[in-house]
Amino acid sequence: MIEGDGNKVGLEERLERLEAIIDRMESEDIALDEALQLFEEGVGHVREAEQVLAETELRVEELLAGGEVLEREIEEE
Amino acid sequence: MSEDGGIDSFGGDEGNTAEVISGPPVGPKVWSITQVNRAVKEMLESSIDALWIGGEVGQWTRSRPGHCYFTLKDEQAELRAVMFARDASLLPTDPEQGMKVRCFGDLTLYERRGNYQMIVRRVEAEGEDGLWRKAFEKLKGRLAGEGLLADERKLPLPAYPEVIGVVTSPTGAALRDIVTVLRRRAPWSRIVLSPSRVQGEGASEDLAKALDRLVESEVPDVIIVGRGGGSLEDLWAFNEEALARAIVASPIPIVSAVGHEVDITISDLVADVRAPTPSAAAELVVPDGVVLLSDVRAAPLRLSRGVRRAAERRRARVTDRMRVLSRTMERSIRPARQSVGMDSERLERSIQQSLDQKRAAFSMLSGRLEALSPLATLARGYSVARTSDGTVLRRVTDFHPGLQFDLKVTDGTVEANAVGPAKPGREER
Repeated sequence: MIEGDGNKVGLEERLERLEAIIDRMESEDIALDEALQLFEEGVGHVREAEQVLAETELRVEELLAGGEVLEREIEEE
Repeated sequence: MSEDGGIDSFGGDEGNTAEVISGPPVGPKVWSITQVNRAVKEMLESSIDALWIGGEVGQWTRSRPGHCYFTLKDEQAELRAVMFARDASLLPTDPEQGMKVRCFGDLTLYERRGNYQMIVRRVEAEGEDGLWRKAFEKLKGRLAGEGLLADERKLPLPAYPEVIGVVTSPTGAALRDIVTVLRRRAPWSRIVLSPSRVQGEGASEDLAKALDRLVESEVPDVIIVGRGGGSLEDLWAFNEEALARAIVASPIPIVSAVGHEVDITISDLVADVRAPTPSAAAELVVPDGVVLLSDVRAAPLRLSRGVRRAAERRRARVTDRMRVLSRTMERSIRPARQSVGMDSERLERSIQQSLDQKRAAFSMLSGRLEALSPLATLARGYSVARTSDGTVLRRVTDFHPGLQFDLKVTDGTVEANAVGPAKPGREER
């Protein structure tokens, strides 16, 4: 299958995990050790997600009959 | 066309005339059936342009190849009609018997049977969207009966899709609109187009195939199926069963976006989400990139606040524990401290006692020492005679005549000379 640029974790999964981490840190009384661990993990997700989101070139591709995908130009109005 | 002489007007007059003049008298001119039917057919077709005819549908049958045969009638009369497969395939559904319709087509004659009939190109049921509405309701009812319109079947859309599948025409406005919105809102995302015709015969099957291919590729996180605005007929592919079934079967969430706000299609009903337009669908499937990016960038601050709070909680807990601990210790050493207090008092007392005893003993001793002190004896008037080297002169024999010695008295020392032993009688008193 064609997959997104070798990023093992998708943006969706990453952002959802980040949300969950922040939720937990803001709503629960967690131990300092765990807070530090979550902080580290969260910052990692932020860094990766930021890299994806900073991408500014929308890619438009066409699915061909054979199942392969081809880049295509779409002119805007 | 007169009742009796109609046939006279048909061609071949000259030939007939010649024969009558030259040949022997024969019977009247006889036409073959084929000739007559062809002649009538030609006359009908050339003299009457295509027209609309209104009436009620009698029997309606559809043959295997898709041709439809039916009768149109009013109170007094009937007209045979046929609709060939090419035109009939564009019908949203077959009209029912008794339905009031208007048909557009040509009058002709079916030569083999000699039947006069109408070749119908279009059928419209009376009232706005008659047949379309009927077909729509029929399919909707069937799908609803299978539970395919139920809300519980709807899949939730992913919050942050990276790949957005699009099933539409590669040249239509819908694709352009979707690209424009995604480029603005979510430039990090990726569009995978599965191109399809969106109108005309077989468009629904085409759309279904394009959707199936996209689903099978497993690439998209969400799929938009749609097209721009058009007439009811233009949008019809989205009201047909083929596409509806493909949408229902997709495990990837599908947003239907057909035409304008007011157009509601079967696709809209079976899709997981209905968007009023293709642009709206694009807005709906991705978050606003600007907001999302600023949220993500704000996350580290929130995370560090969480750590700080955890640290403060920990500090507070340690302080608390210390307080508890010291209270506990206080409680546990109190008895010990009390007994230590008691002991020390006793100790002090006993030390004091022994001190007192010692002091008393000492003062007694010192009294006795006082008594023993030679100074005290001297004070009483005695004196001590010593040689210059300190030897005490105790006996008469120690004093040989002429000996110089020191005589110590209570307030000092006197140098003295020994004369000799004293005369008897002066010795003692």
